[in-house]
Amino acid sequence: MPPLTTPKSGDALFASVERVNAELFTLTYGAIVRQLLTDLEEVEEVNKQLDQMGYNIGTRLVDEFLAKSNVSNCADFKETADTIAKTLSYVCPVIAFFTATVAMHHSGTFHALSSANSLGFKMFLGVTATVTNWDAEGTTCSFVLEDNPLVDFVELPDTCQGLQYCNVLSGVIRGALEMVSMKTEVTWVRDMLRGDDAYEMRVKLTKQVPEEYPYKDDD
Amino acid sequence: MGTVAIYSLFIINKSGGLIYYKDYGSAGRMDTNDSLRLASLWHSMHAISQQLSPTTGCTGIDLLQAHNFDLHCFQSLTGTKFFVVCETGAQNMEILLKTIYELYTEFVLKNPFYEMEMPIRCELFDLNLAQVIQKDRVALLGR
Amino acid sequence: MISVGKTKQYANVLDKPLSRGRQEVSLSAFAFLFSEVVQYNQTQVDNIADLERRLEDAGYAVGARVLELLCHREKGNRRETRLLGILSFIHSNVWKVLFGKVADSLEKGTEHEDEYMISEKELLVNRFISVPKDMGAFNCGAFVAGIVRGVLDNAGFPAVVTAHFVPIEGQQRPRTTILIKFAEEVLRRESRLG
Repeated sequence: MPPLTTPKSGDALFASVERVNAELFTLTYGAIVRQLLTDLEEVEEVNKQLDQMGYNIGTRLVDEFLAKSNVSNCADFKETADTIAKTLSYVCPVIAFFTATVAMHHSGTFHALSSANSLGFKMFLGVTATVTNWDAEGTTCSFVLEDNPLVDFVELPDTCQGLQYCNVLSGVIRGALEMVSMKTEVTWVRDMLRGDDAYEMRVKLTKQVPEEYPYKDDD
Repeated sequence: MGTVAIYSLFIINKSGGLIYYKDYGSAGRMDTNDSLRLASLWHSMHAISQQLSPTTGCTGIDLLQAHNFDLHCFQSLTGTKFFVVCETGAQNMEILLKTIYELYTEFVLKNPFYEMEMPIRCELFDLNLAQVIQKDRVALLGR
Repeated sequence: MISVGKTKQYANVLDKPLSRGRQEVSLSAFAFLFSEVVQYNQTQVDNIADLERRLEDAGYAVGARVLELLCHREKGNRRETRLLGILSFIHSNVWKVLFGKVADSLEKGTEHEDEYMISEKELLVNRFISVPKDMGAFNCGAFVAGIVRGVLDNAGFPAVVTAHFVPIEGQQRPRTTILIKFAEEVLRRESRLG
């Protein structure tokens, strides 16, 4: 098996792309969350919609990640847990990439604007996602985000206590992995907003979509 | 160091549906039905080539050579295929395909009016593609 | 990987120092988000006028906050009170913080006293967007028009603000002009102030 092309690291990746002021992002995200709260009313529905939006973004974003990160050889990547692990860790920068963006979201409320300075906006550099806690079958693992700048930003009003910005993030992972033939379930097991020491998502591979051949030889 | 002729470009979605076809003055421009059928056949042949492989890990046909043209194909990990038909011996086609893939991630996937897996009708993609395809540009890519 | 140490915890976000606004995200991240904003809003409307209005509303919320932020950060809690002052504030300060550059031009309408135009050869939000032919003159710059209206309205300059594509001779892509039509009261006040 040929060696996988060395992917660029997350920080090299970020350094190479065109950037914009984070406040444009922050405020735009705030605006969409406000629209969702107005349109859908129920916080639970907003959470679902955020997850869906994350999923949509993931399905579109994965190609840019693949194109820019030099991940080009998919030999055997579907065949063993080991290579799944590799693929998952390749997708990590996607998460980090998006985490950085999600971090901006929390300035949606005005007074959060007054924060930002202390944020690890060395961009996604500050948000290293590690893949760990593999199960014996090699189909479930954890993405752990320590020091997630999310937590610094969040100050939800009493009426929105159930609002989960992080659903966008799990949606992105689900969407991105589905595009490389892996159906996953993503659940949050640790959440700094609820007093845990890190963010941890449990990513469970539920189905590897087999290579689809466009011809049938059995009928 | 000369310029090369590109005859046509195809983009096929992961189900084998043709989502983009551009002819750059080949002798016989195909009508819609022909191009759709051909795209679907290429999709199948690409899959068959993987099955023919004596070892695992084959990603399908990268290059097809005929006596009067070459066909270079690039498939992204997400299953989208990009291929160009060009004159024999044309260099730098892998780079060109990669560049087209990047244009696709910019001007197609970031366009809110583009529906995934559907035919690509994006003016900005067309404009940027035209610049990249310009013969001299292709030659420059290799420098 | 570079890792940033634990950031200091503040009991209240208000206690945190105000951002100087120098952080960045990738343009892609914004583009994907904005694309989702447009796609989501498309599901909520059945005509183009409503889509425009909803994007403008989203932009308005951004504009209102940008005004507050910049008045505090750049202008010592003062804001412009004169028409040309606020227009130049939008053209320069607001544009710079949101789009990384001042706008290409700010002009007074030639036919109407109450109209001004801010033009941009390539609006950042439109960078990757091709509007389908069947959507006519629709311009996602409606979002930016909303930002401008949000700034103006909250600074006490009510106006109708719209985004238009304007063809440029010799160019394949049209530029976008943000047309600002001030409310009568604004012009009356201006003439009183002399």
